[in-house]
Amino acid sequence: MPSRLSPIALNPASPGQSIFKKKSTPAMSTAASYLSAVSKADARARKQGATPASTPALSMSSSITSSSQDTVLDENTLDFTDGLSYPRVPPSSDQVFATVHSEFGHCANEQYRYTSQHPKGTPYKSIPEQEPPYYILLTTYISYILVICLGHLRDFVGKRFRAAQYRHLLPWKGYAALNSDFDSFYTRRLKLRIDDCFSHPTTGVPGRTIVLLDRYSSDYNKTMVPTGTRTRALNVSSYNYLGFAQSSGPCTDAVETSIEKYGVGAGGTRLEGGTLDLHVQTEALIARFLGMEDALVSSMGFATNSTIIPALVSKGCLVISDELNHASIRFGVRLSGANVRMFKHNDMKALEDLLREVISQGQPKTHRPWKKILLIVEGLYSMEGTMANLPVIMELKKKYKFYLFVDEAHSVGAIGPHGRGVTDYFGIDPRSVDILMGTFTKSFGAAGGYIAGNKAVVDRLRIQGHSGAYAEAMTPPVLTQIIASMASIMGITLPAEKPSSPSLALLRSSDFPPVISESELIPGTAPATALPSWMPLAPSMVDGSDGLMRLRRIAFNARYLNRGLRKLGFITYGTDDSPVVPLLIFHPGKMAVFSRLMRTYSTPIVVVVVGYPATPLVTSRVRFCLSSAHTKEDIDTVLRACDEIGDVLDLKQASGERWPVEEIISRALELVQMPEMP
Amino acid sequence: MSSTQSLDLLFSFLSRSYATVETNFYKIPGSSVVARYVRSSHQNDPGRTLLEVILIVFAIRTLLQSRTRGDQSGKHFIKFDEKEIDDLVDEWTPEPLAQTLTPEEQADLASVPVIVGPTGPKPKLSSGKTVINLASYNFTGLAGNDAIKASAIDTLKKYGLGSCGPPGFYGTQDVHIQLEQDIADFLGTEAAILYSQAFSTISSVIPAFCKRGDIIVADRGVNFAIQKGLQISRCTVRWYDHNDMKSLEHVLESVEKECRKRKGPLTRRFIVTEGIFDHDGEMSDLPKLVELKKKFKYRLILDESISFGSVGRTGRGLTELYNVPASEVDMLVGSVANSLSSCGGFCAGSHIVVNHQRINGTSFVFSASMPPALTVAASEGINILRNTPSILTTLHENVRAVRAILDRVDCITIPSHPASAVIHLQVRWQTLQLPTPTSASPGKPSNPLSAKPRDPPQFNVEQEEKLLQDIVEEALAQGVLVTRAKCIRAQELNEVRPSIRLALTSALSRKDCEKAAGVVKAAFVKVVGKRR
Repeated sequence: MPSRLSPIALNPASPGQSIFKKKSTPAMSTAASYLSAVSKADARARKQGATPASTPALSMSSSITSSSQDTVLDENTLDFTDGLSYPRVPPSSDQVFATVHSEFGHCANEQYRYTSQHPKGTPYKSIPEQEPPYYILLTTYISYILVICLGHLRDFVGKRFRAAQYRHLLPWKGYAALNSDFDSFYTRRLKLRIDDCFSHPTTGVPGRTIVLLDRYSSDYNKTMVPTGTRTRALNVSSYNYLGFAQSSGPCTDAVETSIEKYGVGAGGTRLEGGTLDLHVQTEALIARFLGMEDALVSSMGFATNSTIIPALVSKGCLVISDELNHASIRFGVRLSGANVRMFKHNDMKALEDLLREVISQGQPKTHRPWKKILLIVEGLYSMEGTMANLPVIMELKKKYKFYLFVDEAHSVGAIGPHGRGVTDYFGIDPRSVDILMGTFTKSFGAAGGYIAGNKAVVDRLRIQGHSGAYAEAMTPPVLTQIIASMASIMGITLPAEKPSSPSLALLRSSDFPPVISESELIPGTAPATALPSWMPLAPSMVDGSDGLMRLRRIAFNARYLNRGLRKLGFITYGTDDSPVVPLLIFHPGKMAVFSRLMRTYSTPIVVVVVGYPATPLVTSRVRFCLSSAHTKEDIDTVLRACDEIGDVLDLKQASGERWPVEEIISRALELVQMPEMP
Repeated sequence: MSSTQSLDLLFSFLSRSYATVETNFYKIPGSSVVARYVRSSHQNDPGRTLLEVILIVFAIRTLLQSRTRGDQSGKHFIKFDEKEIDDLVDEWTPEPLAQTLTPEEQADLASVPVIVGPTGPKPKLSSGKTVINLASYNFTGLAGNDAIKASAIDTLKKYGLGSCGPPGFYGTQDVHIQLEQDIADFLGTEAAILYSQAFSTISSVIPAFCKRGDIIVADRGVNFAIQKGLQISRCTVRWYDHNDMKSLEHVLESVEKECRKRKGPLTRRFIVTEGIFDHDGEMSDLPKLVELKKKFKYRLILDESISFGSVGRTGRGLTELYNVPASEVDMLVGSVANSLSSCGGFCAGSHIVVNHQRINGTSFVFSASMPPALTVAASEGINILRNTPSILTTLHENVRAVRAILDRVDCITIPSHPASAVIHLQVRWQTLQLPTPTSASPGKPSNPLSAKPRDPPQFNVEQEEKLLQDIVEEALAQGVLVTRAKCIRAQELNEVRPSIRLALTSALSRKDCEKAAGVVKAAFVKVVGKRR
């Protein structure tokens, strides 16, 4: 342990160490030591290739996936067949995987990669929203009415015969009810029925798979009792787009080193003695990553919006907000005191009409011109899978002179050829957007959020934003995770004293071109000097191959599942490149059944089901969140499960050509690569 | 001929379709009743048919009219043609998105200390200097604790860093449930709920319970997070003078009278205040608060962000100090970040209170849960507090030692409670320059409807801030890191008196504390003396 704990920059890698040895990741202080490590790794890989591992048992032990590593789950009943803990097909001898299969799937096939990029010169459009047949809508309404009537009936009877159980909902001893029976009706009588689909406790890494703590209820979901058993399930629910939720690997090693060095707390607010050197480094790196002038971090994603927007706009300003914007944006806008107007989700015509109206009319009653107009849109809508139509918005912005705030909570990292979010995806200069906001919870496996913009704006927000003066600073482990994951997406430029590029070429797979260095828009790699000097740097981080692999894998997975589901005949929303895939279910009851059937499928799958009030009443849906950690086989599993359950629940309502599930799976590459799906 | 033929065709088609419609109409069950009604009403009073048709048309129009159109149909709407709109669009020039910083603000931002390496009682600053830290919140000295580090690393290796999801969607992990249980046990409440940022906790707790029409009675000196929570909840707020229980009682009585006069339905009523006030370190009289809330049937929302982990024999906060059971406080809000040296906040209370927030606490529902490693670190912190009462004893000794030195300085006013680990130092003007701030005059009480007190204390913010900043820099030169209490002046409800905020820690020895207090005292005397 101690040898591993010491910052490797001070303590060069010992000669016998190999870079692929389990749980030891030496950092390269100089290019020379780095070169030697690379050649050693190469030699080792060749040596391994000479000893064929033919039996699954053998390859299992040589693979990183050993049960000793998985300390959370005592895997007494090793099940090789579900493909969750161990790959169904054991790795061949020349494949070396540095990740735990249950956290980050082993997928060596370079064909299962794609680049998430908007085709130049075509207008953005999402999948046309298909209406379900009328009988579906009708029965959905009927089922709501039925449940509501039943609920009222039960309340009516219950209040008379079981008064004690209703006491907290009615005035009692001169106190008004904390939550009156009317306010809580929906929660008590509708949500409670399907409460087993929500807030399921978990343990361990929310990676490619997740371990559920099983529970049951003997009183119709009023209380949940843990059974003490655990279930490992395929995780298509967590916001783990780039698969950085890992309990081992370069990022985790960096975080571990930082906890040893910094402890866990930052102590106080940013302006009152809570600023560490790590904050300064992180903010500089984020600005560089996004290609913006400056950036600031906030310790909570929700609070980034709710505390920064009031510093941007105030009374006399207008916020134009997409109707489906996140709750945190609405919270922030409400605090700011600015006027708000909404426009229909992603409807650019409605937006332009609204802009013409508000600019010409000015402020209500007084008709004075607005001080400023701020358009707030999300990069990727987490319930719809649609993206902001940025190309059109940029044109409107030129004409109507509003300021643009893009919330990239879900899009940063997850989309774009370099993982820089929607601007990257559409090939738009990020600096033409005034404010880029995003979170670290999703793609970077950390917590908190950032705001990026030009220096004047960000400095103003440092002083005027609520988080600077009042909210606790971001903690060192979180900062380190952000630096490490971001650097591994960017790739790192080592100090230039020794030529480092030839050694990097050795590691770089020749199957795909190094995209990062080509870009004009995105300012390439992170210089090693911008990173903390004690941070261990793994070779895969340095050359950016790890990050690029993640970006290309999630792009493939997203496109494959989106198109696969539509070929099966499901109604989905969003664009093909969205890693968030909403599948329409409509019925509130089917929502619960879908979730339960997925959870008890032969390969358990956990899904997120969302209904009213997060969605309109009739369009309850299930939402898949894909990750780089998923393999093609995982997507196959999801497709098979959906196919089966979709038949049972009569969910395949879309028109258009359909393929049987096995055809989709065998023609996956063709499906992903076709430019437009008919 | 062709025209008559086509007309004939048309008529025959019309009569045929009329016949089909008629037969189909009579096939609908109950249609004959409708037909009979229409026929008889028309026979009796033909005018009524017209009236009813108009009514139906009007009803349909109302139903189809979009409710959100608002402005377009309002009487203030001015019709422009496209050309005029284009001109107006061209003409409009917005203000810059953000004003560039003034030189003072720039200097202010540049003066923010940057700690290199870990924070703690004696951190190193970016200037290369090692200083005694009285600025960061580290009451219990848990920052950099080895046991906490070890358990955090342990968790990191099992869970990774991020929780990658909101609590509702697989973001609730066993460690979160554990920490919630630990906090509830530590305080002695039924349950607790974790939020992932301390600042966002109370501004979500308040709107989760208080809706439009509910009544909140709040202290005039509450912190910014509470102010924002009150603002977002949209309920009726009545204010009482800062930490004045008489004024509270007075306001409660006036609200009672008001309610009786109005005779509306029973509404939820809350008292919102802080344990130790963020703005000046004063302490609430909890037993009196509990007595009043029971007498007037209010619920108490108490923000213990500063007092939790810093007062009481084992750091359980105000409830321990006053020996009031924590269950008497309906919603007890605290910070995990400040005293357990991790991140996040919590709200402790009954099962009903906590479960209600799991669906209605905005920043709980819509935000990812706390990173598991930090959650376990906080659990470990509670464990350490439980087992090591000496931590709090040391902290309280340090507070006493510092107060002993600073209390008697002529040019310092300390509004903070003697037991508070947060000590605010304000400038006391000896000679005229400015009238000394006075609290509300004993005559008339302030208006409960307004957040502003009747006689707001008078002080020159800019001058005092500048003076205090000089003191901060002087102390820093002598090796003691202190900070001005920062706030966003334009957005606070009441003008906050500028102060220097010391945050004491048990991690410093008594000698260091005395030395630091001596430095602060000397800096005050020097800078204020120079001014005179």
